[in-house]
Amino acid sequence: MMQKKVCMVGVFGTGKTSLIQRFVHSRFSERYLSTVGVKIDRKDVDVDGAALTLILWDLAGRDGFEDITPSYLRGSHGILYVADGTRRETWEQLGELRALAREAAGDVPSVLAMNKGDLTDQWALPRSEEQKLAANWDVVRTSAKTGDGVEEAFLRLGRATIARREASR
Amino acid sequence: MTTATAPTVRVDAFGQTDIGRVRKINEDHFVIGALRKAVELRQCSITDQQVFNRYAGPEALLLVVADGVGGQPGGAFASETAITTLLEYLGEAAGCYHNLDVQREHEFLEQLESGVRRAHERIVMEEGGKGGPATTLTLAMLVWPRAYLVHVGDSRAFYLRRGRLRQLTRDQNMAEFMVESGVWTEEQARRARTGELLVSAVGAAEMMPSLGLVDLQPDDVLLLCTDGLCKHVPDEQIAEILGRTETAEAGCRDLVAAALAGGGTDNVTVVVARVAAPPDLTG
Repeated sequence: MMQKKVCMVGVFGTGKTSLIQRFVHSRFSERYLSTVGVKIDRKDVDVDGAALTLILWDLAGRDGFEDITPSYLRGSHGILYVADGTRRETWEQLGELRALAREAAGDVPSVLAMNKGDLTDQWALPRSEEQKLAANWDVVRTSAKTGDGVEEAFLRLGRATIARREASR
Repeated sequence: MTTATAPTVRVDAFGQTDIGRVRKINEDHFVIGALRKAVELRQCSITDQQVFNRYAGPEALLLVVADGVGGQPGGAFASETAITTLLEYLGEAAGCYHNLDVQREHEFLEQLESGVRRAHERIVMEEGGKGGPATTLTLAMLVWPRAYLVHVGDSRAFYLRRGRLRQLTRDQNMAEFMVESGVWTEEQARRARTGELLVSAVGAAEMMPSLGLVDLQPDDVLLLCTDGLCKHVPDEQIAEILGRTETAEAGCRDLVAAALAGGGTDNVTVVVARVAAPPDLTG
């Protein structure tokens, strides 16, 4: 079975851990505990008939104390960037995060999960900015709470990693 | 025990266990071990023996704590069996950390996890599983600069960096599970008599290892401990002790003393690994 290392990258509190919890364990918790170091989970998926194991690296989010550790990103086959649609600073830092990730992991496939899609009354991402983001990113609106878009985001990334592998053959 | 995990980094590691003030038997165990791939030169006609340096060890440092549950003598049996089986497995799979690179990292973690699974199977086979003795198990394998972690139960791993203590593991007990599920509040979890029940343990009906890692830096301190420490010593005091003490042995001694001073209601076991500061090259 193919194995692909996927790193979750984003500012703290965007819901990286919650997305993994929803995708791998089908559960959601309102409680926020910041990730320390890296937590690793696995999920077997079927991508268009191909069996694939996603090895999910849940990286501590960028915060005021520490930035993302580049060495964790090395060897990644794909990156799931996560932003929080209710907090402007989380998508404003995406460019920097992508530069950091590219330096460490190269230009690997990526998907941007615009998370917390259930919080419609607090949604702060204007339509115009959403369109700008969509020009540069493969964006999926997700909600770890309801599950909307979560599987789609991971499967889309899985599909992209397989396509990259096929293309490089 | 001072070990070189890479040519330029030294790790001072020490462990200590204590029965506590109440229990009649110590069901905790720990181990600190260096894994080597080594050629011990006895005699050699080659002038430049530097070529053999890459076969010199140690290259990896293994730290484990285990807290047996299930009452005497089964708990002590479970924690001891878990550690001996794990070491036996890692001895067989000793090559697993050689030539470790990003492409083989998952294979390596799977080997560590497999060692824990074998320990689980042995305890279940010998003691019948459900309801029998079981044990927590928290292990860190340090292959500089990375510490790989496998964790089952409610023992804990922390690291201290620049005075800030961070917990690397999450307890696999009823309190954590119920709060995570949204059934209990944190306050209810603190009060619940069943909060300390393990929902996952080696040898128990459920065994769900969690995997993780962290890159260490010079001057960092890694701590593994059983819950006999955290019941009586708050995180702030743990950070203060690890920050104040200058050797792993002194850190262990003061942590255990603090747990005993706080009541010592359980066995207490700590393993401390201090990464040496880089040599001062400015002078």
